[in-house]
Amino acid sequence: MKKRVQRKVEPMIEVIKVTKTYPHDITALHEISLTVNKGEMCFLIGRSGAGKTTLLKLLCNMEQATRGLIEVAGQEMNLLRGRKLSQLRQQMGVAYQDFKLLPERTAAENIAISMEVSYKKPQVIRDRVCSLLDQLGLADKYDTLTGELSHGEQQRVTLARAIANSPSIILGDEPTGNLDAASTERVMRLLSNCNKAGATILIATHDETIFREGSHRVLEIADGRLEGIAAFPTTL
Amino acid sequence: MNFLFTVLRQLGRNLRQTWGVQIMTLLTVTLSLLIFSFFYLVYTNVVNLGDRLSEDIRLIAYLDEEPNLELRKQLERKIIQFDDVEEINFITREQAYDRFKAQLGENATVLDGMPKNFLSPSVEVVPVKTLGHLNRLKDFSSYLSKINGIQKVQSGQEWVEKFNATSQLITIVVIASGALLILTTIFMVAFTIRLTILGRHDELELLKLVGATNSYIRTPFMLEGILHGLLGSSIGLGALYVLFLWIKTHFTTPGFMTMFDFTFLGPWGMAMIILSSIFLCTLGSWATMQRFVKG
Repeated sequence: MKKRVQRKVEPMIEVIKVTKTYPHDITALHEISLTVNKGEMCFLIGRSGAGKTTLLKLLCNMEQATRGLIEVAGQEMNLLRGRKLSQLRQQMGVAYQDFKLLPERTAAENIAISMEVSYKKPQVIRDRVCSLLDQLGLADKYDTLTGELSHGEQQRVTLARAIANSPSIILGDEPTGNLDAASTERVMRLLSNCNKAGATILIATHDETIFREGSHRVLEIADGRLEGIAAFPTTL
Repeated sequence: MNFLFTVLRQLGRNLRQTWGVQIMTLLTVTLSLLIFSFFYLVYTNVVNLGDRLSEDIRLIAYLDEEPNLELRKQLERKIIQFDDVEEINFITREQAYDRFKAQLGENATVLDGMPKNFLSPSVEVVPVKTLGHLNRLKDFSSYLSKINGIQKVQSGQEWVEKFNATSQLITIVVIASGALLILTTIFMVAFTIRLTILGRHDELELLKLVGATNSYIRTPFMLEGILHGLLGSSIGLGALYVLFLWIKTHFTTPGFMTMFDFTFLGPWGMAMIILSSIFLCTLGSWATMQRFVKG
């Protein structure tokens, strides 16, 4: 009797037995395997140095895995080069832990960069930037140089840049790390809206408050290994 | 927002942020171009002068006596046997006298009382104006002097040789300055672009991370190269033209001008210099950006 396998959900991110070793034999990730489905929002938790940031860097091709397979949107990351890599990156918004903002540019210019590379019209860019700054409580910072913003404000600008181009994948590395409760709520509302609009979201965080209330999947990493997959973490 | 608009915006931003370095590069390209095109201008004028002088080159073989028809045919045969020539003219004593008189102009009265046959008859040989034929002029001259009935052969050979040596030296200078121009331009443009890249490394890295294609990153820098080449060569040629006018006004007298017609570069020469400059500057940009986008 033939067993019929029906695929109900489509994976957006697939990580299969991935190891990342840095020089001097420092293993940041050890045979990690995980899948994030299309349209899913999940959290990656773990202590500092557990390997969360490394995993996000591998997912956005900032670094290459030492061993194992990483597929994002059906494309093998290790093999992606040139135009195909650029196209995938345009579909992917990343809020970096170190922000990667250009301090001599304004908040609006920093956010616009991710839309300019996909040749959006100036008016569309302006409207989108204004809307995002407004949603994140930074409406008055449109023309402020990011070098003059506080850490929390810079963090929100980074997130705005990550989602400005309406990407299908959003990776956030501690997106609420420097924020107060009100700002955290704004950020999470924005991410939740993106998720409702169809974006797949993976957030690396220490902040329990952002996932404790929800029903999203929580993945825990400890010492470069994926410890558990549960609705709620065991420990932080 | 289309590609062109975006890259032009990027270009404007690049130029605004690194205007100091950009001006230095432009000056370097301009000076390199000026040095090269100055030597090239001298070279083209020397070549033109050489062509004009070559047109006047002829061998004059003075004969012992007025040649009869038979001797004329023999001499013609002997001359053609040695090399192809453009013209062979026999000058009688009277014709020589008349020419001399015409050359003396107002002073022709000094010939009063002189017999009209005191000058030797001669044969004028106009060689074919090609390098191969002109190079054989010396051999031709000694060949003619060995023919019986020829007293002496006169040619501007020595002068022509000295002139050719000078023009060869100028050719070497033009080639050397051209090579230096190529190296300087590529090096300077590549160096400027590298400085710009270093100054904007974070931005370019970020552009890559947000999905900018290589052409999106590279094109503004290529346009910078084109601008350097176009502006540098245009300003360089403009400066050369000013220099040319100054030289023409201060160092040429009407008498000198009739012998040496000092002319500026033709439109093709200028177009070639501008296009080469654009090509070299763009090559410099491309080479540097290639390393960055692949790195």
